[in-house]
Amino acid sequence: MEQLLEAMTGDVFKAKLEAVTTDVYGARLTRRGFVKAGGTLIVGFSMLRGGVARATGRPDGNAFDASLPQSWIEIHPDNTVLYRTGKSDFGQGTIYTAYRQIIADELDVTFESITTVVSADTDTTPEGGGTFGLLGEGTPNIRKAAAYTRQALLQLASQRLGVPKEQLKTIDGVVYGGGKQVSYGDLVKDQNLQLTIPVDGQLTSIFGLRITGDPPLKPASEMKIVGKSYKNSNISSKVRADELWVTNVKLRGMLHARMVHPGTLGSHLVEAGKVDNTKFPNTRLVVKGDLVAVVAPTEWEAVQASQQVASATKWTEWKGLPGTDKVYDHLRNECDWKAAPVAKGRKNKGDTAAVVLASPRKLEATYRLPYWKHAPIGPALAVADYKADGSVTVHTHTQNAQALRGQLAKMLGTTLDKVVVKTYSGAGHYGRSNGGNAGAEDEAVILSKELGKPVRVQWMRNDDMQWSTQSPVAFSDVRIGLTADGKIAAYEIDHFMPAMQDDRMIGAVIAGLPTMDAPSEKGRMLDSISNGPSDQWLYDAVPNLVERAHGTYQIGQKSSPVKIGLRDHSMRTPGQFQQNFPREMAMSEAAALAGADPLQFRLDHAKDERLIALLKRLKEESGWEVHSHSAPKAASTGSGVVRGHGVSAMLRSGTYWGCACEVSVTLSTGAVKVDKSTFVVDPGIVVNPEQLKRQVEGGAMMGLSIALHEEVSFNESGVTARDWYSYPILTMAEIPEFKVVLLHRPEVGNMGQGSEAANALGASAIASAVFDATGSPMRQIPLRPEYVKKMLDARNSDTNAIPPHHDDSSDQTKPKSGAPAASTL
Amino acid sequence: MQTIKVNGRMREVSSSLDTPLLYVLRDELDIGSPQFGCGLAQCGACSVLLDGKEIRSCIYPVSLAVGKEVTTIEGLPDRWAMQHKPAPSKGALHPVQEAWIEQQVPQCGFCQSGMMIKATELLESKANPTLDEIKEAFTTSGPSPHLCRCGTYIAIVDAVRYASTLMAKGEA
Repeated sequence: MEQLLEAMTGDVFKAKLEAVTTDVYGARLTRRGFVKAGGTLIVGFSMLRGGVARATGRPDGNAFDASLPQSWIEIHPDNTVLYRTGKSDFGQGTIYTAYRQIIADELDVTFESITTVVSADTDTTPEGGGTFGLLGEGTPNIRKAAAYTRQALLQLASQRLGVPKEQLKTIDGVVYGGGKQVSYGDLVKDQNLQLTIPVDGQLTSIFGLRITGDPPLKPASEMKIVGKSYKNSNISSKVRADELWVTNVKLRGMLHARMVHPGTLGSHLVEAGKVDNTKFPNTRLVVKGDLVAVVAPTEWEAVQASQQVASATKWTEWKGLPGTDKVYDHLRNECDWKAAPVAKGRKNKGDTAAVVLASPRKLEATYRLPYWKHAPIGPALAVADYKADGSVTVHTHTQNAQALRGQLAKMLGTTLDKVVVKTYSGAGHYGRSNGGNAGAEDEAVILSKELGKPVRVQWMRNDDMQWSTQSPVAFSDVRIGLTADGKIAAYEIDHFMPAMQDDRMIGAVIAGLPTMDAPSEKGRMLDSISNGPSDQWLYDAVPNLVERAHGTYQIGQKSSPVKIGLRDHSMRTPGQFQQNFPREMAMSEAAALAGADPLQFRLDHAKDERLIALLKRLKEESGWEVHSHSAPKAASTGSGVVRGHGVSAMLRSGTYWGCACEVSVTLSTGAVKVDKSTFVVDPGIVVNPEQLKRQVEGGAMMGLSIALHEEVSFNESGVTARDWYSYPILTMAEIPEFKVVLLHRPEVGNMGQGSEAANALGASAIASAVFDATGSPMRQIPLRPEYVKKMLDARNSDTNAIPPHHDDSSDQTKPKSGAPAASTL
Repeated sequence: MQTIKVNGRMREVSSSLDTPLLYVLRDELDIGSPQFGCGLAQCGACSVLLDGKEIRSCIYPVSLAVGKEVTTIEGLPDRWAMQHKPAPSKGALHPVQEAWIEQQVPQCGFCQSGMMIKATELLESKANPTLDEIKEAFTTSGPSPHLCRCGTYIAIVDAVRYASTLMAKGEA
């Protein structure tokens, strides 16, 4: 859908002036006349926080037209620049650092001249789309918007100065040519100019709108601002206590709500408890469908009353989940993997099954990854203000405000123009809201509509652990056949993972109100149950390769009487983490089988120049000591502490990643300590070294947390993790000696990504380091002491469970007769 | 009506005596930096100083704060100005805040108010802490470890060390 929308901006001074339209790389630049005052690349509107919905007449009700560059970038007469993005900030700072740098370079203005960043609110930004992949593999929307804008400015300057466009150059917001000069601010001053740029996509979809066309982009060699470290202005406001957090939003007459969530993930309400009004005189109970909440003028009264009501509320029982201990058995033996088509890897080639069968040495193994919580430090929170005219403004912290807006409109059965979503800083949640909601937004709207007052819903810690989505559980079966000289002859991997993107709003589901469909076989991309090959293959010297991905319904989704069950959601490096861990751990195990060093083994199977350079640099920077791993260093009866090293690699969003870890394992307890971790990252162009380094550190520490600690415990009825003791994460005491090496390779041209992938590399490097230290393969995370000890004691019993064979069409997840059943260690 | 001293000012509060200090600060006194993370004293997002010692305001009844001095990060610049002779320039941040900006510590930042409170407590008692002492302060010294989900622990260590040098120089 190509939109070439037009809108008049500004006040026309001479109404009859002919519009003059010229072509700018497929965009249309129109001069309609002159305005009385000010700059006409400015749209007049107020930017006050907490504003109300603005009627605009556009079909989607958006105040900003994505086809107009002034909706993205405003050049002001004083030569300052404002820009808008539909993306929000979730702590990586990209919209305050990298985006400004990219715009500054494409526009040829200074970083400092970009004085205002307007982000994410649905009534003040043009594009929508989820906050992920912010650099868009090198060409985020904002880069094209800046490029179009600069071309338009050049065209205007050419007319103004009477100098051909080709003879003009731009430096720091001034156009020079023919011995003359004019600033951008002067070019737009008192003019009514409009550049219409092509966009496609859907505003409220997960991807939002995308600017199309091919305005000339600046080559990396000419970038002056990209590549340097600039500080994140948002950090300063948070440290100075100037930040308006979502938690700080207060509206006149606002009530505080706490939810009384159902007893299980499959319960209906039997009877809501009554509020004890002798203790809680100002509290009201609200019941809608199975949705139960208490609302009070003060937060503390609401908190206490919710506990009192919860203890007196009755729910139907439900026991339809396998529980943590049986989850992998359930996945292999109970789930219907026929429900979704099998997806095949793009580089599949050869008859791997036959080659593996004929290979003198082979690795056949199953790898497992548990459910994780996104686990934001602050629980979900939203404030909704539903007005008598049917409009609603929601104040929240979301990665995708426009998608949330679409969902809320659907829940209310109203049109988009009635809903405004405003976003604020809040606790990061790493993917949970990329499809719109994180939890609580829908509940706030339901309650505000019911009560006719602004309502603030804050989940308690247990609500956030038990009623949010989680990253899905997964397992993979791997077969590798080696040649006589220790090279991989064939590599076959089958990935199994339930649906990963359930963006239904849980409050709407509980209340029985409309929301998007649950993932199903009928779903298309984001509400489907299919699994796809997400881990880009790296080892191109492998002659025979098969990668397959199998999907199914979420656990409990179909059996839950209320269709809830364990709801999954993408989390940092989604899908690829679940596929890269088995692949990389299997590579290290195959190296051991070949009697080879695992880093050299990877190099021996690589052809890609960037991968080879990266691994060589990793070897050097990590102080990697080559040793072949043919015999385990630790005897099964060993005691004391043994050390080992491991390596992993990944290609994600055009960025190459390598990680080396050194660990110590206490044999008597199974305790794993990561002593040292080295990351080498080649994103192509490093936009902001200081910020990228901090992003990599953060992602890597989250990865360490996942590798060592994280697993969502659940029983037959629901999630039993309810706080930070039952869902422990990494503490500062555990941080290793850490080194990040950034490879700036502008010749690649690509701008890669930051904290995603960093979280996914550690687990396989650490697991293979434990393997190196002990001789026992670690095929499952987290590497909690009890699991490691069990693996050490069992001495490879897990290895003996030969996975079943799979093919492109089958769902043969069950072992062939004679083969031992997969263990559920 | 109770009176508590917050960031150098006497403030009257009407919340019931058992109300956790966090809700009083946030909802009644409009001090928005301490955050609700867990309500269980398990994460440190709500930490404030009470007579110079870190407490978890999410479980700490306001009645126990009467007669004592509460400091949040809003009050850190004044706290530094009071402690430091000669007085730093007007509007100067606390060295811990300067260090948090210089080292670009926060990502989402939700835990960082509590982290800066912990750093201030540490540096007021140990001017030049070792790596182990920093780890100990943020992990085992309080009711629970200070948790950061974004994984900024390395940046926090860098910033505590940087703040230590700033304080030693009397800068900031």
